[in-house]
Amino acid sequence: MRRRHFLFGSLATGLSACRRDRRPRLNVYNWSAYVAPDTIPNFEKEFGVRVRYVTYESNEEMLAQVITGNSGWDIVFPTHNRVPPMSSMGLLAPLDRSRLKNLPNLDPQFQSPSWDRALEWCMPYMWFGTGIAFNRSVAPAPSAWADLWSPRFKGRLTMLDDPEDVIGASLKKLGLPFGSTDPDEIRRAEHELFQQKPLVRAYLNAEVRDQLVSGDVLVAQLWSTTAAQALDVSPSLDFVFPAEGFPLYCDCAVILRESRRRELAHEFLDYLLRPAVSAAIAQSTLTATANAGGHALLPDKLRNSAALYPALDVLRRGEWPGTLPPAAQRLRDRIWTEVKAS
Amino acid sequence: MNRLRFCFLLPARIWFVVLFFAPLAIICAYSLLTRGVYGGVELPWTWESYQRMIDPLYGVILLRSVVLSAAATGICIVLAFPLALFISRATRRKNLYLQLVMLPFWTSFLVRTYAWMFLLRDTGLVNTALIGMGFLRQPLPLLYNDAAVLLGLVYAFLPFMVLPLYATLERMDPALLEAAADLGARPRAAFFRVIVPLARPGIWAGIALVFIPCLGAYLTPDLLGGGKSVMIGNLVQNQFTNARDWPFGAAASLTLMLLTLAALGIFYRRGPKDLL
Repeated sequence: MRRRHFLFGSLATGLSACRRDRRPRLNVYNWSAYVAPDTIPNFEKEFGVRVRYVTYESNEEMLAQVITGNSGWDIVFPTHNRVPPMSSMGLLAPLDRSRLKNLPNLDPQFQSPSWDRALEWCMPYMWFGTGIAFNRSVAPAPSAWADLWSPRFKGRLTMLDDPEDVIGASLKKLGLPFGSTDPDEIRRAEHELFQQKPLVRAYLNAEVRDQLVSGDVLVAQLWSTTAAQALDVSPSLDFVFPAEGFPLYCDCAVILRESRRRELAHEFLDYLLRPAVSAAIAQSTLTATANAGGHALLPDKLRNSAALYPALDVLRRGEWPGTLPPAAQRLRDRIWTEVKAS
Repeated sequence: MNRLRFCFLLPARIWFVVLFFAPLAIICAYSLLTRGVYGGVELPWTWESYQRMIDPLYGVILLRSVVLSAAATGICIVLAFPLALFISRATRRKNLYLQLVMLPFWTSFLVRTYAWMFLLRDTGLVNTALIGMGFLRQPLPLLYNDAAVLLGLVYAFLPFMVLPLYATLERMDPALLEAAADLGARPRAAFFRVIVPLARPGIWAGIALVFIPCLGAYLTPDLLGGGKSVMIGNLVQNQFTNARDWPFGAAASLTLMLLTLAALGIFYRRGPKDLL
C-alpha cells in the first residue's frame, strides 16, 4: 500500500514536472502510512495546487532537516513532546485560528492539550499509546508491565527498540513515573531490564507485527496503532493497556516558520480537519484520529476498537510524556546501550 | 609544463577536497562541539566526546565488533577459496559463474536481509522444513542471536572475498600445478604450498574488503540480531537518532575510522605492496 502510494505519488510529481506546472506547490513531510490514498490527490484537485508529499520514519529524521531552518518543508508532523522545543527554537509559525474553521471538530481532550494549551502552534492529528499485544492462546493473559518479566514468555517476548518506551515501562513496573529524571530511579529501572533481557527474543518496533500474526511472538510491547493493524489481520491477537499506567503520544501537524505558503498550509490543515477526510484517513491507515467529527463517521468495528480508542477509565491511567532534560536523556541513552550490549 | 600538470590534476584535487576532506572535516568539527538539546551541535568546543569514548562499555562493544568481523572474514575465506578456485578453473560458463556471484547486488541489501529473516524465523522456511521432515519438534531459535548476525555478515560480504581471490587465481599458471605433481606433491601439498602462497595478494585484498566494512555494519546486527547485540555501527547510528547526541556519534565514528586506518596500516606492512 505504502509503496504503491509512493510510486503513484512520484509518478504524478514527475509528470507534473514535465508539464512545467505553474500551480503553487505545498511541501508536506509526514510519517509513513499516515494518509489515505486519495487524501492528497483530492486536495490537489479541489484547491488547484500541487503537493510534494514525502514520508519519514522517526522524529529525529524529520528534525535533522527542519532544525536547519531551510528544509523546504511547509508542514511536518512532530510527536507532541517535540512541539514545545520546536516552538522555543523558533522553528514554528503560529497557527491562525481564524483560518482553521474546522478546529472545533477535534476531540475535547485535544482542544486544550497539556503541551500546547491554546493550540497556538500545533494541530493534533493522530494519537496512540504503548501497551502489550499478545496472542489469545496465552493464559492468563498479560495485563500489566510486570507480566513482561514472567519466565513463561521466555523467547517469545519482544520489547520495543525505543529507549523511552522500554525504560519507561520498567519504571512503571516499579511504580515510578514514566518520565523520571532521577538517576537512582533510572538505575533501578536498568536493573529490571537486565533481569528481563534473558527472556527477550528481540527489541523490535513495527516489524514485530508479522511475527505476532504468524505466532512466532506471543507477547510484545507495542504501540496501539501497530497493534490495531495486527489485530485487524489476525483474530487470535489482543491488546491491553497495562495496569500500572502507560504513555500516550499524539502526532501533531505544525506549520514551519520558514514556510512561504502559510495560507495554503492553513487550508491544508483545515482540509485534514474535515470529518470526512479524517475518517477516510483513519479508516485506511487504521490509526486513531484526534478528530471527534471523523471518529463519529467510522464504521462501528473501528470506532469501538479498544486498542485505538481506549475507554475513559483506561485513558485515566495514561500520561503524555514531556521532553527529557539533556542530563536525563544522556543517562537513559547510556543505560540503553548498556542493556543492549549486555 | 608544471602549469599543465597542475591543470590536469586540478579536477582530481577538487574532487578529493569536496567529496572527501570537506565531509571528514565536518565530522571532525562535530565531534569537538557540544551536543544540542534536540539534536544538532552547539558551541563551545570540547574534548568531552572523546573522553567519554574511554569507557569499558564502549571497549566491550568495540571488541565484540572486531571479534564478529574477524570471524566473518575467516568464514568468508574458507567459503570463497574453493568457489574462486572452481570459477578460475572452469573452462566454459566462467562469465556466468561470475555473474551469479554478483547477482545479489542487483537487489537491495535491505530486501535480502529481510529475506533471511523470513528463512530463519520460527515459522520460517528452514524451521518449517525441518519440523515437517520430523527432525525437530520445537523450532530452533535461528534468528536474533550472534550466529544469525555472523551468517548475515558472511552472506553480505562473501562476493567481496570471491572476486579478488578469483582475480589472483585466474592469473596463476596451471603448469605450476603440473610441475608440483611431477615433483611428487600430492594435491593437498600442492594446494597449501603452491596455490595458497600464490593467492596471497588476493587473500589480503579480500580480508581488507570484508573485515573493514564488517566493522562498520549496523543493518545486519539490527535486523538479524534483533537489537540484542550491539556493534559499533549501531552505537553510532543510535547517537544520531534516538540519543540525539551528534558529537558523540561523530567521535565514535572517527574512532572507528582510526581503528580501520590502523588495520589498513597493518595490511600495508604485512601485505604485498602492489595491492593496496
